Amino acid sequence: MKIIRFQLNGKWVEVEIEENMTLLDLLRRKLHITSVKRGCERGECGVCTVLLDDKPVYSCLTPALKAEGRSVITVEYLSKNGKLHPIQEAFIKSGAVQCGFCTPAFILTTYALLKENKNPSEEDIKRFFDGIICRCTGYVKIIEAVKIASELCNQS
Amino acid sequence: MSETSKLLEKWLKAEEFIIVGKSIDRVDAIDKVTGKAKFMEDYTIPGMLYAKIVMSNEAHAKIRMINLEHALKIPGVVRIITAKDIPGENQAGYALPDQPLLAEGKVRYHGEPIAIIVAENPEAAVIAASELNIEYDPLPTLLDPLESMNRRDILIHEETGSNIAFTTKVRRGDVSKGFQKSDVIVENEYKTQHQEHLYLETEGALAIPEIGGTYTVMSCAQYPHLAQAITARILGLPTNKIRIIQPYIGGGFGGKDDTGPLVAAQAALASHLTGKPVLLIYSREESFRIHCKREQSIIRYKSGATANGILTAIDVKIIMDAGAYANRGPFILWRATMHASGPYYVENAKVDGYCVYTNKVYQGSFRGFGNPDIQFAVESQMDEIAKELGLDPLDVRLKNILKPGMTTMTGQLLDESVGVGKALMMLAEKADWRKKRKMYENEKGRYRKGIGLACGWHGISTSRGVPDWSNAIVKVSKDGGVEVYTGITEIGQGTPTTAHVQIVSEILGIPLEYITIHFGTTDAPDTGATHASRGASIGAIGVLIAAAKVRERLATLASEILQCNPEELKFENGKIYSKNDPEKSLKWKDLVNEAFNRGVELSSTGYFYLPKGKFDHEIGQGYAYPAYSYIINIAEVEVDMETGIVKVTRMWPAIASGRIINPKAVEGQIEGAIAQGIGLALMEKVEFDNKGAIINPNLTDYIVPTAMDMPKVEKPIFVEDLFRYGPFGAKGVGEMALIPTPAAIANAVAHAIGKRIFELPLTPEKVYFKIMEGRICQK
Ligand code: FES
Ligand code: FES
Repeated sequence: MKIIRFQLNGKWVEVEIEENMTLLDLLRRKLHITSVKRGCERGECGVCTVLLDDKPVYSCLTPALKAEGRSVITVEYLSKNGKLHPIQEAFIKSGAVQCGFCTPAFILTTYALLKENKNPSEEDIKRFFDGIICRCTGYVKIIEAVKIASELCNQS
Repeated sequence: MSETSKLLEKWLKAEEFIIVGKSIDRVDAIDKVTGKAKFMEDYTIPGMLYAKIVMSNEAHAKIRMINLEHALKIPGVVRIITAKDIPGENQAGYALPDQPLLAEGKVRYHGEPIAIIVAENPEAAVIAASELNIEYDPLPTLLDPLESMNRRDILIHEETGSNIAFTTKVRRGDVSKGFQKSDVIVENEYKTQHQEHLYLETEGALAIPEIGGTYTVMSCAQYPHLAQAITARILGLPTNKIRIIQPYIGGGFGGKDDTGPLVAAQAALASHLTGKPVLLIYSREESFRIHCKREQSIIRYKSGATANGILTAIDVKIIMDAGAYANRGPFILWRATMHASGPYYVENAKVDGYCVYTNKVYQGSFRGFGNPDIQFAVESQMDEIAKELGLDPLDVRLKNILKPGMTTMTGQLLDESVGVGKALMMLAEKADWRKKRKMYENEKGRYRKGIGLACGWHGISTSRGVPDWSNAIVKVSKDGGVEVYTGITEIGQGTPTTAHVQIVSEILGIPLEYITIHFGTTDAPDTGATHASRGASIGAIGVLIAAAKVRERLATLASEILQCNPEELKFENGKIYSKNDPEKSLKWKDLVNEAFNRGVELSSTGYFYLPKGKFDHEIGQGYAYPAYSYIINIAEVEVDMETGIVKVTRMWPAIASGRIINPKAVEGQIEGAIAQGIGLALMEKVEFDNKGAIINPNLTDYIVPTAMDMPKVEKPIFVEDLFRYGPFGAKGVGEMALIPTPAAIANAVAHAIGKRIFELPLTPEKVYFKIMEGRICQK
């Protein structure tokens, strides 16, 4: 057992963990952040994606210990006081949400992408999403959502 | 005419709409973008136990012994359940009673569930599952359906006397005469492969013991009443003791229709035997190994046509690998058989289907349900006929395409709702088909473009005269809030969270916020399954009728209060007013309140029994489906002649599926189906070793399309060829766009490289060797 301290969605937390625990288990089982999904536990599907210091990582392959002293962001971070983030708005408007199991991962990845690149091209978007699978949408409306989100973010 | 038929017809004839036909945002999207949406594994209940399945390591073997002793000693293990612990009947077969919930005496596929470990924590369950000692006496395995169908010495189900689980047939006219009349005959063998659903959320269930000896089972099934029936049978309880509800489900695509009820029964069994809530979630590998797959098919197809491209006869043999259990195989085969002509008129037809047992994971429902396989053959044949005759493939199709007033291959008259011809012409024009087809003919160099076309059709509702119905409950509370109960599930497609709310909002003229849909639950009357693209068509009829009945009662009351004719009343925006005199108006909430005060009932069911004819299996003719949805895809590809890599660059879809209730939702269905179709066409294949074990049960070795693989998908063309029994004339859309996708891509590849590949998927190796075929000899 070990105690780690990290920023979860902007707030410092301190938790006791088993040393071999993954970040996915820490978030889901200890901290009950269920928006982080479990799809394969092998780094193959991407639905467990969270942002570690603003970079997307597979939480299923990330040791929880790695979070020590760093920032972890999950989708809960994005909407403030009941107001949706423009990325969330864009995902709803463009119809990018079907079953929703992959949605938090795609939204977080979009957040990271737009931080890096304010006006991503279709190619940039596709490349950035290569590590996450969506089995429902065929990605068409997700890509559309990112384009709309980038416009909305640039406006505000 | 009954009251329900009158109501259906009244709304079918509606000409102006408030919300039907609009791309509203799905009402569940907000939960899903904020992370609030709860899926199976997100529920925890104090004292809950964790279950895990122990799978067979043999494909065909007698179970000599299961020794629990060692595994039971692992700390945290509460109980280990095997077939002999089942209090009810160990029978979970769907089309045929051939499938146990837990293997009994013998296993028939590698991965078959044998035991359930129940433990205090998931880790203990995992350890116990690996430590459980099972001893087998291996039997010879049959993996090839062509071998299996001819063997009598090795039987997968001894009691049947044959490995052929089921056969189908269609007979029309005289095929030999038809071939005599033809100027060209094209004959080929086509092969399709096992495809994995790969819903991102694996299967699961949470069973909770409740008061009065009942159980609530949170299930991922696509038909709550089926999950209820199977669970009750396994537990030896009447169905009224089992209540099924659903959380959000991370994709279904048919796989959870077949597997969901079994997982529900497994969790409920564990809960029943331990008296505790039990959560069972399949790991990715378990999901891969245990649950059904899209069938593998071998199709021998012979077509004859006149010199100007008119079909004269078809002779088709379909062999489907059923795997270890029939499951829905017979129905999948039925569907493939009934659709074997494609959406074309043909006077002479002979179709024979065989569903054959092998020692592989069993086949099951997957978007398209046997139809992508057969349309791959049909549409490849159409192109081959065109090639032989030197005609444009578009023209060959237009010459044979079904039109209203024609009969299908089974002799059924299509008196309405046949928009395929129009859709085909519109799409060819939109894609600039003739020009591209010519232009790409002369491609030279390393990267070559090709363009291909494929049509598809899909019967609405279940095959033949199998009974189908719809139902729902609508109830209005005193404050005007409306709740709807339906058995239709939300599995990502969004039927209850788009089409159903829109239908209720349209009919009652109230804002969406007034409406809550309780979906996927046995609290609703049996609504049938969310499969066969029926959720927003047959499945929504009940919602329409129940809401329409409530409206009729409220209209009568309002006409009394407002002193006008009920026919002149409009329900809009939470108001009821006379269109002749808008001053005469009432607020929805006030009218509802009045209804409570004056004794007008504001709850209703919406039962509807779908009229159908009969199919005569003896003569292979008769009624197949109440109507068909039609789809056409045009695919453009680019083939790298040096590596064989195929890139789909553009897709044009057109759909003739009656009223489109929510265009955005339908586009989403089309795009998602195209992605799965691209997977089936180019890369996805479940592979087995020579012992029948799946060798790629993970996402490293089983490849599905990512964003990088997706082409530009053009906005679909909608031809709204209304269907008389559909809600507002809607047919179905969920499965449609997958059906012709592999065929369209295969035709485009054939166009690009000048040769045809008859076996899916079109992997780079296959394409490369096809390109090289003949070339090597020339050197
Ligand atoms: S759960 Fe699939 S990548 Fe982490
Ligand atoms: S919306 Fe279902 S997996 Fe993406």
